[in-house]
Amino acid sequence: MANSTIASPEILENLKLELRRGCLIVAVLAQLRIEQYGYTLRKALADDGLVIDEGTLYPLLRRLETQGLLVSQWREEDKRNKRFYRLSPSGEQTLNQLLSEWQRINASLNKILQEA
Amino acid sequence: MSKPKNPTELVDRYLQAVRFWLPKTQQQEELLTELGDDLRSQIEAEEEELGRPMTAEEASAILKRCGAPMVVASRLGPKQYLIGPALFPIYWFVLKMVLFWILVPVFIFIVGPANWANNGKDWGMAALQTFGDLWSGLFIAAGIVTLVFAILERTSAQAAIACKFDPLTLPSVQRIGRKPSALKTVCQLIFGVFGLVWLLLIPNYPVLILGPAAAFLHAAPVWHKFYIPILLLSALSLARSGFTLAKPQWEWFPPVAELVQAVFTLILLNFILEGWFPFVVLTEAAKNSVQYIKVAAIVNVSILLSLAGAWLGLSIAIVIQLWQLMTNLRKWRRAGQPASLQAQ
Repeated sequence: MANSTIASPEILENLKLELRRGCLIVAVLAQLRIEQYGYTLRKALADDGLVIDEGTLYPLLRRLETQGLLVSQWREEDKRNKRFYRLSPSGEQTLNQLLSEWQRINASLNKILQEA
Repeated sequence: MSKPKNPTELVDRYLQAVRFWLPKTQQQEELLTELGDDLRSQIEAEEEELGRPMTAEEASAILKRCGAPMVVASRLGPKQYLIGPALFPIYWFVLKMVLFWILVPVFIFIVGPANWANNGKDWGMAALQTFGDLWSGLFIAAGIVTLVFAILERTSAQAAIACKFDPLTLPSVQRIGRKPSALKTVCQLIFGVFGLVWLLLIPNYPVLILGPAAAFLHAAPVWHKFYIPILLLSALSLARSGFTLAKPQWEWFPPVAELVQAVFTLILLNFILEGWFPFVVLTEAAKNSVQYIKVAAIVNVSILLSLAGAWLGLSIAIVIQLWQLMTNLRKWRRAGQPASLQAQ
């Protein structure tokens, strides 16, 4: 394995997962500029090319809410209890800061790639 | 077990299975409700595409994509571990020390002989009993060490360890296969020569070993059998020191030679101890003196205890030397590999 010139599919998949993991928080916060519940949020992310499974999304939403970046509300819709999420004021501010950081990282990466 | 009749019942069963593995808290219940709603929304979306209700078998494909209940619960639930990544290296080190460096030698060299003595000197029974005791001891010790570290984990002990770190107190770097100090080897050679000369003089000058007691004590016949092997071992030690001085670049030689000598010494001690009493006997003239008989008894017991202690210490030393030799062998093998692989 150490002498192969191409990374194995498992290694590549794990690295892709790590890369995606870093983007998830920004993606979730950005999507929640509009109020959504879990399923519609997951579907919107998947439609935009960022697939996230249930086991990752819901604990992440809980964590962001505990950190004060999201607010949520239980509502009955279609005879089922759904939890609707949206950005809090603190969440909006944090999202703007994260987007600036994202652009800065992007610029650095472009510079590194050009130099290489 | 009956099969679920429809997707709704299937999802309920699935959520029940996930709930089993989750802690029973309000937060986990809410997560489960969200998960249930997500799954039902997926089923509804698929039914809309199909234009008809799904069967339980078709819905099971959605649940399979979601994952096994235990796996989903591990993702939904709080991150839990008995011993965290910060403390785990220390825990592993302590566990190995306690189990393999303390417990195993104690059972082999202390409990084993005790069992042998208690079982009418039957080696087979003693070995079986010691092995059984060792297994229980290992599990109990592992349990206690794990419990202690689990408690430390929960009392944030690793934070205290991190705070105490001072780079200036780190130990100096150990070079792999460091050559033995020439001064140390020279001293070993000199004292080895003195030791050999002393041994050679003892038969004619017993006062060199017995002191004033040489007037009424002399060496028991057992020493006649072992005198030559003892001399040979002493000469071997001298030869070892000489060779180490002559070939300092043979880094493997000192630890291997030391181990071999220790093993030979242990074998010799075994034979001497099997020979038993007496180690010194009274001269003809002193045989009737009660006082001298007492002194002879005391000297014999002292020598016996010293030899037994030496046997035990040497046994432990051999185990340690063997372990160090194996560790050094691995390091030397790695040192022979390309630099890119040495970090592993």
